[in-house]
Amino acid sequence: MKKFITLLSIVALLISSGLLKAQSVKITGEVATPLDLKLADTQQYKQTSVVRKDRDGNDHTYTGVVLADLLAKAGVTMGNDLKGENLTKFIAVSASDGYQVVFALAELDKSFTDRLIILASIMDGKPLPAGDGPFRIIVQDEKKPARCIKQVTGIKIQFAK
Amino acid sequence: MASTHPCTAFNSTYHTFMQLSKGWVVLSLFCIIIILSGWAYFSDPVETGTYQFTYPSNFGNRINIPEDNPTTKQGVYLGRMLFYETRLSANNKLSCGSCHQQDKAFTDGKPFSEGVDNVPAPRNAMSLTNLLWAKKFFWDGRAEGLEAQAIIPMTNPHEMGQPLATSVKKINGDKEYHTLFKLVYGDDTITGDRIAKAIAQFERTLISCNSKYDQYLAGRYQPTPQELNGIKLFMGGPNPAKGIPGANCGHCHGGPKTYMELFHNNGLDSIPKDAGIETLTGLRSDLGRFKVPTLRNVALTAPYMHDGRFKTLEEVVDHYSDHVIESESLSTVFRGESNEVGGKTLKLTADEKKDIIAFLNMLTDNTFITDPRFADPHKLIVKN
Repeated sequence: MKKFITLLSIVALLISSGLLKAQSVKITGEVATPLDLKLADTQQYKQTSVVRKDRDGNDHTYTGVVLADLLAKAGVTMGNDLKGENLTKFIAVSASDGYQVVFALAELDKSFTDRLIILASIMDGKPLPAGDGPFRIIVQDEKKPARCIKQVTGIKIQFAK
Repeated sequence: MASTHPCTAFNSTYHTFMQLSKGWVVLSLFCIIIILSGWAYFSDPVETGTYQFTYPSNFGNRINIPEDNPTTKQGVYLGRMLFYETRLSANNKLSCGSCHQQDKAFTDGKPFSEGVDNVPAPRNAMSLTNLLWAKKFFWDGRAEGLEAQAIIPMTNPHEMGQPLATSVKKINGDKEYHTLFKLVYGDDTITGDRIAKAIAQFERTLISCNSKYDQYLAGRYQPTPQELNGIKLFMGGPNPAKGIPGANCGHCHGGPKTYMELFHNNGLDSIPKDAGIETLTGLRSDLGRFKVPTLRNVALTAPYMHDGRFKTLEEVVDHYSDHVIESESLSTVFRGESNEVGGKTLKLTADEKKDIIAFLNMLTDNTFITDPRFADPHKLIVKN
């Protein structure tokens, strides 16, 4: 049933977009395998929910993939490998409107923090609104929503120089 | 030098001859002086070496210069010559400077510029200001880097309308260009790629950082109360519950540069005639989405928007205050932002609009639009 709803929401999103072309998220830079993830691809990963306030001041439940899981899949130095010079790595997240924010890799890693940062595609059980989706970063407990970047198109892993 | 002046010996030996031809010597010397001064003027040595960009520290150093095109003084000069070179157009009448005029902050005052075939361009000519910080060019951001950008209007049949190979041929006979290309690139081969690179170098130097707003940020200008309120309204978002007015312009036009390289649908139409970035990506979320342009010298760059639909700043501010049109791809920044509780649009008062325009006028930089380093070098030679 859950899978069916997910499938239904994907179809709804495709129809609402008017074109059968959808935004994907590219994971590039200091990776072993670059990824180009469409909505259906991200559904293959374990889904996690985070509740946080948006600009409207209300709590919302966002559902998506823990960013660290996607990075691990791309072969980014997480977990045991996140030490030494790898601690100078950060991710630059880009949106389709040109907006960019960064996170240090250590901010995303479970061995450093329990705070969840997810690549969400669902808000309150529905696909993200058109202006926010299909993908939005949701940072648990962060006071300002400024790094909850909407319409994510790319994640690039880089060394600080 | 004076004691061994060659003329002394010459005079004593050929006294009689000299007396006869004294007039000729004076005349010859006169001619030599004229020729020498003329030569000194025309060959006014082009400065060489690394070009030092000067800008306030609050502009930040997130600048964009490709590794294969470092900025040099000689490259900037060559770029300036080419920027104003009409031989780069099919009818020898247009240069980059035709649609990008310095006194209008490098715009031309028209909704759509006309190219060599008199066909109007599909979009409004953009101001060339502080491009050193820009990464993506054109209203739809389709060119990555100034070098790639420069080639497009030169070769577009409705703009300058000439293949680069023809441009190369046309200026190949010009000795001065050969000297300059050698100075810039080490040898005097003229190529399309080198033309574009030099123009990009010149364009990177078009920095506007001496407006009243810059002077205010540097603590050298005290704005009027109207200007100060304009700054507050421009930079801040509305919070009607707390009685704080705001226009939220700074959300996309903020920071000391008033430029952030963003792309938005700003609610001009429900069904846009020009699909904007959607044309490139095929994504519905990019429908009617265009570059958020710099507001530097905005009082000089009318008409406004990608299609030049607004003639005045008053019309622009009215749009954002009262006429933003909802659509699926309208950027979220325009949704639900209002100075009235539950309001659909910003709803600024008449005075607030005037205050914002007072701030926009602070962005005019007279130094920039009169800087002789940015002027047409060909005209300077003709004038003298």
